[in-house]
Amino acid sequence: MAAPAWYSGSVGLSALVRSLGGALDDYRKLRRGFHWDTPRPAEWPEASNAVPDRPTTLGWARMEPVRSLRWALQKGMLMPFTEVMAHPKVEGEEWVQELHRPVILASNHTSHADTPLLLYALGDRVRERTVVAAAADYFYSRRVIGFLTSLWLNTFPFARTGGPQEVLNRSSQLLKSGWNLLVFPEGTRSDTGALQEFRPGVGHLATENRVDVIPMHVRGAHRIMPKGRNVPLPAQATVRIGKPLKVGEGETSRSFAERVEKAVHELADGAESAQVTGSWIDRWQATAPRKTRR
Amino acid sequence: MRPGAVVEVDRNTPPTLFHYGEGFRLERLPLGSRIIYPPDPMDPIGHPERAIRRALTKPIEDDPLKDLLRPGMKLTIAFDDLSLPLPPMASPDVRQLVIEEVVDMAAHAGIEDIQLIAAIGLHRKMTADEIRHIVGDRVFTAFWPDRLYNHDAEDPADNVQIGKTSNGEEVWLNRRALESDLVVYVNLTLVPMDGGQKSMSTGLGCYRSIKEHHTVHTLLNSNSYMHPPDSALHHSCIRQGQIIEDAVRVFHIETSLNNHAFPAIANFLQKRETDWTTSDQAAFYALKQATDLAPPDLKRTMFHSMLAPYGMTSVQAGQVDKVHDKTLEAVRSQMLVPVEGQTDVVTMGIPYLGPYNPNSILNPVLVVCLGLGYLFNLYKNKPVVREGGVVIMSHPTRYEFHSVHHPSYIDFYDEVLADTTDSAEIEKRYEKRFAEDPWYRQMYQQSYAYHGVHPFYAWYWAAHALAYLGDVIVVGGERSTVHRLGFKAATTLEDAFEMAEQTVGRYPSVSHLRTPPLLLAEVE
Repeated sequence: MAAPAWYSGSVGLSALVRSLGGALDDYRKLRRGFHWDTPRPAEWPEASNAVPDRPTTLGWARMEPVRSLRWALQKGMLMPFTEVMAHPKVEGEEWVQELHRPVILASNHTSHADTPLLLYALGDRVRERTVVAAAADYFYSRRVIGFLTSLWLNTFPFARTGGPQEVLNRSSQLLKSGWNLLVFPEGTRSDTGALQEFRPGVGHLATENRVDVIPMHVRGAHRIMPKGRNVPLPAQATVRIGKPLKVGEGETSRSFAERVEKAVHELADGAESAQVTGSWIDRWQATAPRKTRR
Repeated sequence: MRPGAVVEVDRNTPPTLFHYGEGFRLERLPLGSRIIYPPDPMDPIGHPERAIRRALTKPIEDDPLKDLLRPGMKLTIAFDDLSLPLPPMASPDVRQLVIEEVVDMAAHAGIEDIQLIAAIGLHRKMTADEIRHIVGDRVFTAFWPDRLYNHDAEDPADNVQIGKTSNGEEVWLNRRALESDLVVYVNLTLVPMDGGQKSMSTGLGCYRSIKEHHTVHTLLNSNSYMHPPDSALHHSCIRQGQIIEDAVRVFHIETSLNNHAFPAIANFLQKRETDWTTSDQAAFYALKQATDLAPPDLKRTMFHSMLAPYGMTSVQAGQVDKVHDKTLEAVRSQMLVPVEGQTDVVTMGIPYLGPYNPNSILNPVLVVCLGLGYLFNLYKNKPVVREGGVVIMSHPTRYEFHSVHHPSYIDFYDEVLADTTDSAEIEKRYEKRFAEDPWYRQMYQQSYAYHGVHPFYAWYWAAHALAYLGDVIVVGGERSTVHRLGFKAATTLEDAFEMAEQTVGRYPSVSHLRTPPLLLAEVE
């Protein structure tokens, strides 16, 4: 198609003037039409929300174009920075390469550097589908910090003190929507770098939603940015990924959480395990169907 | 749930939103016009998985699915394609939830021979990513590509004639489905036109069976397609469906959705203008300016990435007709708006998306199909516009086509519409040639193109409206394209009303269909 002529009004200065005029006109229509300077007209029906409540908070962080923006930020800045700072070594990445269902990723927690290292280890495809549980009282007490954290790392506010029901409601929705959930079952960063006791929340989540838990362990993040320091320093880090753990028939959430804790301990010590193969039925059953409580 | 409403425009009424392709217009309607708003979204079922399980274990006039499954049997699961719902549903799609449950039961029963077929009919084949979105990661990785694939309506080895109806209509079916011990059909019904016997007879049929009811004559006698009892199209599908039921054991599963069609970022599209909060107004303003300035390709990418947060409102399984009756009840309770009497003029904004352009371009032929085929037919009893009245649509109607998805549309526009816009004439002189063209057939089978005959069906879809209306005016449409379609182009809505007065007289009565979200006007 031929380019429009200079006098057509659709190029150059006249186009700019026209679009500015259009923007001004829209502004006027809104101001007058919606009675910005007068009370809501009496004949309008009572205002209604019309739209059902959103199932989770911070849904915007998992929608386009924020997802694409985050992908670009992580790929262009966060991952190269992590690579330079930590030269991360990843072991057991085969456990997260073929994820068929949403899973919970449970890791130890010694530093703010843990999250970038874990996201690095997950690879592009899984990372893009992973939300990170971030302490609501720490990251979300100030709106701007919460906004930036969610944009940067795809976090959502995870109530450390709300009890199992609060944790379940928010996180289950995310798992059911197909998101993987990265959680730190210790609840807070370790002061010394040593593993702390796991809280039972991870067990509740896994048993309620019938999803697998993949244990992960980060070694070396404590040296990069220990608790109390705000500036990272370069140091080598290793991320180990373990075999997915399934909730056993009749297993309680507490005993499952203990099993997850044990698996993370084993990763810290360097233990490894085997894979599942077979016909489509075996593969299907091995990928743990989504089930609500029966 | 707040029901739909018909609101009369007065001095204080805020301006009204018109969809305008990948953009919007804010228009002032004449005083006394009425705006027809859809009902608010119904509350979705809290535990869809549990409801699905219940439907499969307690089906309507059929045995529980578990009892129909046995080791060594041949099981086929067919499911609706990406033409539903619109916009595509945010993950998990309800079809995924249903298919997972069915496959789970099949795994427990130890069925080795299982295949999943996307019932695309003469639509384009879906890409791997599009199928993955519908069935979910787990099903996709377990079955794609050997046991999960698109139906091919042009492969002679894959389609079998199974008989003729009492009216002499040929019935063809996918061979795998025909040879299966059980076919489980997983449907998604968004509007009353979908589902029922139409699912299998068109989704797994071929040109020779689909052409029996996709004719100008049938469609002129379908008033409207959105009310199956008054639709000759549906009567024909039911006759074909009964032949299919005699040949194959079918277990039919239908789901319905609420009309929560827009994500949070575009909440204002879901709301009536009087409900717009300051942030809705700000979102509208920002999006309007962005869409006014952005190039079409960028806008298209942006709009097509929107996924709808639909909620499932019902699920039922069992015998096709009984199941469909129940589904229609649920769909109508979400969509129905009582409207008193017809008006001289109906206005409607044409959005960026119709059933035949997901991840694609709404070309001029599809604009006609969406406006005069689908939106015009969203009525029960009689159309909102009176006979001889005028429809005013807003859409940019640019001369643009997706060369991969719509190759036959390009030739239809350039060659056929240049000659005539009369549906009956087009059917008589051109349909067969396009339908049997080896190049279009090749692109349908090997690429992602709609079938060669598809633009004809899109055009016939509007045949009833074209015969019924006095005039059609497109606001903001590209003049040469609009003229090729046989309509009039207007620059502004005010101009369009002036032009409409030439047809319907001074001071016409006006209704505006504020859709999507979709509604079904029950006109008394």
